[in-house]
Amino acid sequence: MAAREKLNLLKERFGNAIQRADIPAEDRLFVFVDPQSVREICRHVFRHLDARYVISIGADDRPHSGDFLVAHHFAFDEDHLLSSILTRIPADEPAFDSITDEVPAANWAEREIRDLYGLEPRGHRYLKRLVLPDGWPDGVHPLRKDVPFDHVPEGFDPDREFKFDEAPEGCTVVPFGPFHPTLDEPAHFRLYVEGEMVRGCEYRGFMVHRGIEKLAESVLTYNDIPMAAERICGICGCVHNVAYAQSVEGAAALRIPPRAEYIRTIMLELERLHSHLLWVGLACHIVGFDTMFMQAFRIREPVMWIAEKISGNRKTYALCVIGGVRWEITDDLRAELRQVLDQLEKEWRPVVAAVQKDRNLKARTRGVGVADRHLVKDAALLGPVARAAGVDIDARRDHPYAAYDRVEFDVITADGADVWSRVIVRALEVFESIRIIRQCLDRMEPGPLSLDIQDELPVGRMGMSSVEAPRGESHHFVITGENNRPRRWRVRAPTYQNLQGVPAMIKDQQLADMTISLGSIDPCFSCTDRMETIDIRSGAKRVWSQEELKQLARGTRA
Amino acid sequence: METLTVILRALANVVVVLLLAPLFEGVLRRVTARIQSRQGPPLLQPYYDLLKLLGKEDIESGESPWMQRFAVHLALASVLTVVCLLPLGAPSPLNAAGDMILLIYLLTLAGICTLLAGLAAGSTYSLIGISREMITMMALEPLFAITLVIGALNVNSLRLDQVLDGSVYAGGGFPLSGLIMLAVMLLSFQAFVQRVPFDIAEAETEIMEGPLIEYSGPKLALFKYAQMIKLVIYSSLFVALFIPWGSALVFPFGWLWFWVKVLGLVLLVTVVAATHARYRIDQALNYYGGLLGVAFVALILAGFGY
Repeated sequence: MAAREKLNLLKERFGNAIQRADIPAEDRLFVFVDPQSVREICRHVFRHLDARYVISIGADDRPHSGDFLVAHHFAFDEDHLLSSILTRIPADEPAFDSITDEVPAANWAEREIRDLYGLEPRGHRYLKRLVLPDGWPDGVHPLRKDVPFDHVPEGFDPDREFKFDEAPEGCTVVPFGPFHPTLDEPAHFRLYVEGEMVRGCEYRGFMVHRGIEKLAESVLTYNDIPMAAERICGICGCVHNVAYAQSVEGAAALRIPPRAEYIRTIMLELERLHSHLLWVGLACHIVGFDTMFMQAFRIREPVMWIAEKISGNRKTYALCVIGGVRWEITDDLRAELRQVLDQLEKEWRPVVAAVQKDRNLKARTRGVGVADRHLVKDAALLGPVARAAGVDIDARRDHPYAAYDRVEFDVITADGADVWSRVIVRALEVFESIRIIRQCLDRMEPGPLSLDIQDELPVGRMGMSSVEAPRGESHHFVITGENNRPRRWRVRAPTYQNLQGVPAMIKDQQLADMTISLGSIDPCFSCTDRMETIDIRSGAKRVWSQEELKQLARGTRA
Repeated sequence: METLTVILRALANVVVVLLLAPLFEGVLRRVTARIQSRQGPPLLQPYYDLLKLLGKEDIESGESPWMQRFAVHLALASVLTVVCLLPLGAPSPLNAAGDMILLIYLLTLAGICTLLAGLAAGSTYSLIGISREMITMMALEPLFAITLVIGALNVNSLRLDQVLDGSVYAGGGFPLSGLIMLAVMLLSFQAFVQRVPFDIAEAETEIMEGPLIEYSGPKLALFKYAQMIKLVIYSSLFVALFIPWGSALVFPFGWLWFWVKVLGLVLLVTVVAATHARYRIDQALNYYGGLLGVAFVALILAGFGY
């Protein structure tokens, strides 16, 4: 009982500061603490109990309890425990003690709470806006319950330019973004460059913040949200889809049928396969090695096709509903999936062997974009970035969900802490994913795909779930609510933490290494299946089929 | 009569190169595609690309539009002048009018046009591009000069027809210095033609084509044309200096044989480009530095007749 043990440790040390605790399951711990002691408690948990920082979350609980909530989530990976340290913030004094000095990784999360809830983090040293644009008026905080989801406040100036920090002396500014050939989404790094050396940077992002969380709390229902959730990301959409469903199921204490668990596992691993193959290709493209890019995409393509056969889509599988899954993997599909895996394994092995020996690639990636253990701890870096630094964390093993507790696999680590190690970790994880899917195919038993849920879900319960996305742990938190929708849903994608590590990774290295360093935390890419051509003069439309496109590109019939 | 022949032969050189350069680019793209398991564009695609770009609106942009225009015309003009100096399967047309020094000047001028283009754009990315280009030029120019000096030493002349005919081998034997320079030039050839792994000054995924960032339409077409011609020029120079055999065959066999050799070099460039990742400027500089050291040794050896 790790949860009970940790709670006792906290009670022993902080006694009266612990107001209330809830252990809904062996692997979940919710502790309400006194707002005055939260900084001290978090420091203890982070530094002495050596927990991994996950995320800080704000919530507007005023309609129910009259207070705001601020939760700091920590993971005890070795003890298989996810914990939340919550404080109630009185509505008439909207401020909370910042923990960023103790837990540097909380920097963004606290600024986000300030932007979206108007809760002031006391003692935070860099209170620049993070999510809201500079043209947004003061005093309007979108995630507060009294702000409608479609509200555009008076005085909003969409054309207002960002106010940037002063560049250090002797440095020129190189704008990296908002649009750049290697960035697929708008994000702006303002690099301070001395000659060819990067000395620092300022980041502005959130330019396409879509307010999905607000939408979910205002207009969507429990079973709409998985579809919105997977549109958070064009690469690891299924991860969000599953993580959301699991956090609601956790809150409502629902246990889904085993076959659904296996299908979730298979689809998550299929997604990892396509994502890793895409990433290795993309990383090679960034350093100018386009042949590997093309070959990686060629090898990846059958994964997209089998995903389409299973779910109807290359991406956005629309997999989960609360209590189960929507797609069956029939015997035919199982056989075909096995063939795809065999082929993939056969083709990927020589690629990995070639990459491992490639001195040219090594020269470009060794010692580049270094994120060592200390940075991983302080910035709470995740996934392959952490594993490449020898930090052995993987939510699939540490916080098992779906059917991961019933399959065997190795967590791949490396010790270079650089881009090269990240390449190797990802390249080898492909084989583990193949292994996991094969075991699932062997072990899945016939059975129902989802629960038959008759009753309304209970109100006011909290649930959280961590899913290992291809880029690292994706963490979802839910407070269940009225009207068939959650009161609060918070998504923490792995890039939210990994991006905070980038400034330290690119500092004092060459400008040429910027793109691959940023790329090494894994950029995102949408893929289009079919192409439609329209002849402007005649207006004739022609939709190209998969076969025709393949013919066009490769000149061979499949 | 004599003058007229020279003019006609120089013109013939220019026309042949203008016609063939996009074809070599097409071969390069096609073979690259094959290595990447793609079908690739039609062989004639570079011609279509040039025509398309030439037909587009001519947009003035960057800090100094007139310099932008000047740079691109100068680039094309200087590479075409070089073409007049080269023995393309037949004796050099302007043999009497220029020597090796002029050749080196003109090749440098072509490089300087890239710097001008970058300056004209005036964006941070183009400035980074030209600083990389400048560093590259400073390291590469001596390599090429040393090769020519060794050749000139061997034949005791700066005349184009004598130096650009396998002169590094001192007519017949295989002196150590010639063989060393063959290796050095082979290893640095990719840098002279600015292809992966040494396309550092343009590096699309890092600095978005660097000096060319503000170019579009007809001006971009001319720059691209100049770059395609550069590939032909350096391949021809390499053939003339290091692979002279068979150049004395009667027309048209000698001429055809010459272009087959050039094609061979283009294929080599393609394969290297398709199988490498781009180096960083500091790594490239170390590499050039090493080659330069070796080249100086070769120069000393040549001085003592080895």
